[in-house]
Amino acid sequence: MATNRSGTAQRPNGAPQTKVCQFKLVLLGESAVGKSSLVLRFVKGQFHEYQESTIGAAFLTQTVCLDDTTVKFEIWDTAGQERYHSLAPMYYRGAQAAIVVYDITNQDTFGRAKNWVKELQRQASPSIVIALAGNKSDLAAKRMVEFEEAQAYADENGLLFMETSAKTAMNVNDIFLAIANKLPKSESAGGAAAGGRRLADGDAPRSSSCCK
Amino acid sequence: MGVDEDGYIFAACTFFAKNHPGEMCGSNGLPLTPSSVTILGQAQRLLHLEHPNLCTYLDVIRCKHERIIVVSEVIGKSLNDFKSKFSFDQIMNIGLQVANGLNFLHKQDIMHRTLSDDNILIDNYGYVKLFNYGMHYMTKGGNEIPFPLGLPRYLSPEIILGGGGPSADVWSFGIILLELCIGKLWQNLRPGPILRRILTLVHAGNTAERIAREHDHYDAYKQVPETLRNIIEKCLKIYPSGRATFSELVHDLSALDSKQMVEVKRPQGLLGCKLQVLYHLWQLAGGDIQSELKKNCLIKNSPPILSMPIAILLDGSTIGGKTGALFDRRIAMYSLKLLKQRLSHISPHDFYPLMHERKKEYDAVTLPKIIRERDTEYQFYRLLWFNRLLHGYPHTASYIRAEAEIDIPPLVRGDVWAALLGISGDIEDQYERIDKETPTPTDRQIDVDIPRCHQYCWLLSGERGHRMLKRLLKAWLLTNPQYVYWQGLDSLTAPFLYLNFCNEARAFACMQAFVPKFLHKFFLKDNSSVIKEYLAKFWQMTAFHEPELATHLHEIHFVPELFAIPWFLTMFSHVFPLHKIVHLWDALLVEGPSLPLFMGVGILRQLRDTLLSSGFNECILLFSDLPEIDIGECVKESIIMCRSSPRSISYRRFTKETISKDPMDLIEVPMDVLFSEICPRISLSDFFSLMCQEKCCVIDIRSNLLFDKSCIDGSINVPYSGVHLAQRELRALGLRPQRAIADAVRLNKNVVIASAEHETAQLFSDYLVKCCVPRVCILHGGIQALHANVPSLFTVPPPRNNGNK
Repeated sequence: MATNRSGTAQRPNGAPQTKVCQFKLVLLGESAVGKSSLVLRFVKGQFHEYQESTIGAAFLTQTVCLDDTTVKFEIWDTAGQERYHSLAPMYYRGAQAAIVVYDITNQDTFGRAKNWVKELQRQASPSIVIALAGNKSDLAAKRMVEFEEAQAYADENGLLFMETSAKTAMNVNDIFLAIANKLPKSESAGGAAAGGRRLADGDAPRSSSCCK
Repeated sequence: MGVDEDGYIFAACTFFAKNHPGEMCGSNGLPLTPSSVTILGQAQRLLHLEHPNLCTYLDVIRCKHERIIVVSEVIGKSLNDFKSKFSFDQIMNIGLQVANGLNFLHKQDIMHRTLSDDNILIDNYGYVKLFNYGMHYMTKGGNEIPFPLGLPRYLSPEIILGGGGPSADVWSFGIILLELCIGKLWQNLRPGPILRRILTLVHAGNTAERIAREHDHYDAYKQVPETLRNIIEKCLKIYPSGRATFSELVHDLSALDSKQMVEVKRPQGLLGCKLQVLYHLWQLAGGDIQSELKKNCLIKNSPPILSMPIAILLDGSTIGGKTGALFDRRIAMYSLKLLKQRLSHISPHDFYPLMHERKKEYDAVTLPKIIRERDTEYQFYRLLWFNRLLHGYPHTASYIRAEAEIDIPPLVRGDVWAALLGISGDIEDQYERIDKETPTPTDRQIDVDIPRCHQYCWLLSGERGHRMLKRLLKAWLLTNPQYVYWQGLDSLTAPFLYLNFCNEARAFACMQAFVPKFLHKFFLKDNSSVIKEYLAKFWQMTAFHEPELATHLHEIHFVPELFAIPWFLTMFSHVFPLHKIVHLWDALLVEGPSLPLFMGVGILRQLRDTLLSSGFNECILLFSDLPEIDIGECVKESIIMCRSSPRSISYRRFTKETISKDPMDLIEVPMDVLFSEICPRISLSDFFSLMCQEKCCVIDIRSNLLFDKSCIDGSINVPYSGVHLAQRELRALGLRPQRAIADAVRLNKNVVIASAEHETAQLFSDYLVKCCVPRVCILHGGIQALHANVPSLFTVPPPRNNGNK
């Protein structure tokens, strides 16, 4: 229970939490696989059947407490439609973690997830922790992507893998925790206090045309 | 028509839609659409049917526990309530009117299926109207309700056997005529035996005679004029294919009908208004459909404990538990008393406003729009007036625009929007020609987006809404091959569908007119430069009107790319609920394509204090979950900003408007220059008119040598070389410039930077923004261009000794 949604990093017993790490995490995947729903479940514990589509991207934060560290996720939830692809680098650039989501009832979304993994391996920071989430596991009756197939693919590529359900909350916290555990929590990583900010740096239309 | 002064003019009936057992999901994993929502969507079409022999449907309301309330026009009383017998002439006349109504319905592909003596109404003048003829249509053939449709004795044999098409109505019509001639059939029989009797008719040679014999009315039947008997017999054929159609029946009956309909004079005054208007006003005046139903015990309130099921099975289905009547044949009646009282003091003259008459001023105009929309009297005047204007459209387009600027009555918003967008011509035909069905690769994306698009709105969440939205999107994409489907296009289409739910063609025409006007080139496959330009312009407008906020956001690198794309790509339709969008777009359609930029600024302004005290993360969080925005306020502010800004500062390259080649209007700069500028540029002609109106403060940043030779009359010289950009205080500029700028800010003047080279103008204007000076812009082309085009503005300043002009 001491895992998440505690907001600030104060333990009930008052033991001082010294280490606070901040990580930028990005969600990628085909549209309507449940990226926004996963984030909403993780951050607010809610689920909306008719979660509206994401245009551009949305940003949310959530803190989880591990044994000795507090991990603050700065989560970029991106638009799934292929057309918004050109915006994606803006969000995954500088990200320390990524969750690539697919829908277990749709084989195409799994294919798209593989493409995202490839792109991340090529373009994102080499140390990025990638997790693969097979979402909508509550619809197992309509499954089109076998667990074993996805697991094998994840093992091959060194990805974390879980089947999740934003609707039933199954494995949602777990996958974020698994990422938190895998992320290096050295001082340097923790110092990425401006994960979100760094994102904007490269893309700011005008950087500094003044104050010379 | 023919309503006596205190009579009832509309009625409501109620029934329950089918309940889906438990938590069933559709094939896409989403919950099944509730039956009541489907009915609501289906019924919308009925609301727009108008025919003299049909009671107009006025409203369909969805209540708790899948209850549906249907509100409709009502007249006189039903055939069932008439105790006296009709003459054969009267019967033929009634028959003709009923057949007319049914003929109309069949032409609309609507089957009545529930025709009976209690839903045929006659008023004192002999007018006949069918009442609640849409049960079969709105419940999709009874699929969405848990009870059977129709009274047993009017059901045709094939309906009883579980089949049947529109010709079943002909059978029911025949039975009605027969009953009018020989009296009620199968009285005192329970439904089962009645159905059996009807089925035994299958072997009869002449059905009508056989029925008459069965009731010992053979003689009476033989006294019916032969012509009428023929008609009855044509209807009561066992095989549906053998029966006459209503167009034939109308033809036959009009040949027989000797009675000329007396043309009843159209009622004057309040009752002369359209029923929909009366119903709307009645509701505003406090009319409550549900309370009357409760009074008549058509809705019974019982303690919830009584309706709890005795057991719930694992699959979610329930056993036991008391439910009310699923369908009640009774109706609750309503009069206009309430409304009449409310509007009693209005003089008859006011009912007929003249187009060119100076309009009355209403006190309500100063109130917020949401309140005006609920003010009975105000809406009454507005609706009269708008209906008048809409009647004259397109010739009244300019009047409509002027009135829409004040506000738009919700009841006619769809019509007014179409008028504002200049929709005219045969839009149905054009829409009809577009292929909306052939599958395309985009379908998957559309299919996953539609079930998430404004689903809190019942109309849009139903099956019919989904289907129409998909058709609209496909039609739009096909008609605009240069564009592609971007997520967000669904949200953009939704308001048009919402307002034109029964006029798909007009929804399409509106969409088709809206996009080029407001979102030209936004849906290109590669739209990045269009969006970037838009966002850059938005950011400049922010600096222009909210310099302090702009400076703060620049400093924390909070760029519009991160949050404002959905705002503009969908004209805010993805970020706000429909009831807010309509107000936003009301203004948009009147003001034109630059308003959205200022609406963006208006939103930032409302969040100003929070934003100013927040860092990057807090800011972006704020926009991911946009807090409550007061749209009325936002619209008001943005209109003020928009109108007070020189037109050229919001110039965009990507618009449909043709670009003027006049050097006075020229303002285009390369894109990379645009992206590097915090302050907008102003064109020479705008500058000239600002000068004429004394609405600007000109700061000339050339060296004093150049300034002393020749300068813009009234300008202040602040040589750029002497400015310390790092010092963010106006004081540093010297006393005179500081005062001049402070005065300009106080008087809401524009601060125009004129320079000989552009870079310095840019740097200096940025500096002023950082000093929180609003309304700073750069003179496009600088001093040289102005001198070349408007030399008359220049003068030689008097020798500077005391710092005077």
